[in-house]
Amino acid sequence: MAGHIPLQQTPTTIKVTTVSQEPKAIRWTLTFIALAFLALFLVLPLVTIFITAFQKGWETYVAAITHPDALSAIKLTLLVVLITVPLNAIFGVMAAWAITKFQFKGKNILITIIDLPFAISPVIAGLVFILLFGAQGLFGEWLFEHDLKIVFALPGIVLATIFVTLPFVARELIPLMQAQGTAEEEASLTLGASGFKTFLLVTLPNIKWGLLYGLILCNARAIGEFGAVSVVSGHIRGMTNTMPLHIEILYNEYQFSAAFAVASLMSVLAIITLIVKNLIEWKAKHT
Amino acid sequence: MSIQIQNVSKAFGSFQALDRINIDIQTGELVALLGPSGSGKTSLLRIIAGLEELDQGAILFDGKDITDVNPKERNVGFVFQHYALFRHMTVFDNVAYGLKVRPRKTRPSKADIQKKVTELLKLVKLENFADRYPSQLSGGQRQRVALARALAVEPKVLLLDEPFGALDAKVRKDLRRWLRKLHDDFHITSIFVTHDQEEALDVADRIVVMNNGKIEQIGSPEEVYDHPNSPFVYDFLGNVNLFKGRIQNGKLKHGSFEADIPELFSQNHEEAIGYVRPHDIQIEKTKISEDAVHTTISHIHIIGPIVQIELKRTDAEEFLEAEVTKEHYHSLQLKVGEQVYVRPKQLKVFIPEDFSI
Repeated sequence: MAGHIPLQQTPTTIKVTTVSQEPKAIRWTLTFIALAFLALFLVLPLVTIFITAFQKGWETYVAAITHPDALSAIKLTLLVVLITVPLNAIFGVMAAWAITKFQFKGKNILITIIDLPFAISPVIAGLVFILLFGAQGLFGEWLFEHDLKIVFALPGIVLATIFVTLPFVARELIPLMQAQGTAEEEASLTLGASGFKTFLLVTLPNIKWGLLYGLILCNARAIGEFGAVSVVSGHIRGMTNTMPLHIEILYNEYQFSAAFAVASLMSVLAIITLIVKNLIEWKAKHT
Repeated sequence: MSIQIQNVSKAFGSFQALDRINIDIQTGELVALLGPSGSGKTSLLRIIAGLEELDQGAILFDGKDITDVNPKERNVGFVFQHYALFRHMTVFDNVAYGLKVRPRKTRPSKADIQKKVTELLKLVKLENFADRYPSQLSGGQRQRVALARALAVEPKVLLLDEPFGALDAKVRKDLRRWLRKLHDDFHITSIFVTHDQEEALDVADRIVVMNNGKIEQIGSPEEVYDHPNSPFVYDFLGNVNLFKGRIQNGKLKHGSFEADIPELFSQNHEEAIGYVRPHDIQIEKTKISEDAVHTTISHIHIIGPIVQIELKRTDAEEFLEAEVTKEHYHSLQLKVGEQVYVRPKQLKVFIPEDFSI
């Protein structure tokens, strides 16, 4: 049907006939090893999170996640996601559009810069913002004079999160839009549509699954980001703690059940994200 | 609508895609831009549509300069080489697109759009395919959807980029005839790009032969085929035999071959090339005239009603190709290995300006 979007992360299923001719014993052993490995390194920790979270009973669990500090951390995390994901969507689409539909000098530099956050350690990303906007930073004095808070406040956390999640949408869209070319947009223009209508009616429907996929990945990273946010947040309880930071604090205070309770909540969010991601992949393949 | 292309030049980096192109196209004409790939024909078409900017020159529609007018305001129908159908829309929505995106003031009502689109789908014989998606159609069907979509906005100019390039031979011929008929019914000024000389000769009122960003010749199919004005046009429009020789006292001489070229009497001792179409080569069993060349038949291909005969000259290491009708072939009783004389019935001589050919 209409959209065939080659999602980069989806490996094409290749029917392997030679392997199935291997003796049964080898097949079973290989399958067992793979499953055991998965169980040991992925399932076991995940189960541990939930077991530890509920170790001291349902009441403790509820108390832990309804504690004002926990609630404030959840709220802050969701707020950061709500700000960063749409901004990244806009930036990602614009960058991918510019790179794939226009010819200009410095295109390769732009592509490289978009990848920068993948290469740089999140801690360094956080530090950059401290050096720029911190009290001793480049703009620190000016910000202080004008009573603007960036570092150790919401704007800093948002900036750091945007920085680390920047490539997700653009990276997803660039190969997709490159493969689709510009002919449909040109057809739309010659049929009398404006640039904006062309984007809305032709480009957007063609990239929607790729865009959603990028947003899901961006969303997952924005919820879970620890390093960069940890540097700029200042760990002010009930103020600038996101969920990952809150978990760390609880853990350091030996409140294991509470820490794992919040962690279980994050795990649920992650699992939901995975399910949505798979649904989108399935949808993209079947439309 | 008439189109004037005035002194148009375009370069991509250091590559000169178009070099001072001038064409006048009359209202209702069907013009073919014919040339090999890289000759600039598609660039010219895109410039007329406004999809490409020109470096120099002007495009006039009905005498009005539209060089700086946005493509969406030019009211041209453009059919893309690979159709560029909107893959997420049904056939109906594809055709309706140009009407639906109009500003509210000029947009037809839903019922009018429905009527118009149904009419167009009937015209392209796809009324039963309205709910299909482009990926569910064959190449020929997609091509017709692309045409219907372009016609929906009632363009004053129809531009087609290699309209039949991606189709198989049979479908191509059908669509060609159909396009010609459509053009005769609607009388939209149309320009189409092609690298297939047969297509251009078959469909167009006028052919613009292009090469290396320049126009080689403009004329009716008959003119450009029978009276090419350059070696390139000769070569590009159909097969051709070459007689490379030297002018001596008004004669082109090459080996034992001699032909009278009285108009070139003054060009003595000049290198020259004679061009002869395969069907202008006369095969004779005995030598009757001076300009007949002794040859041996090396191959005979029978292609339907036409017989292609490959001949090797005995006086030079060169091959000639002749085309005769099957009847003529049978009456001559030609066989491979037989010695015959060939004589050009029509010979056109060009003196190469520089020896780059």
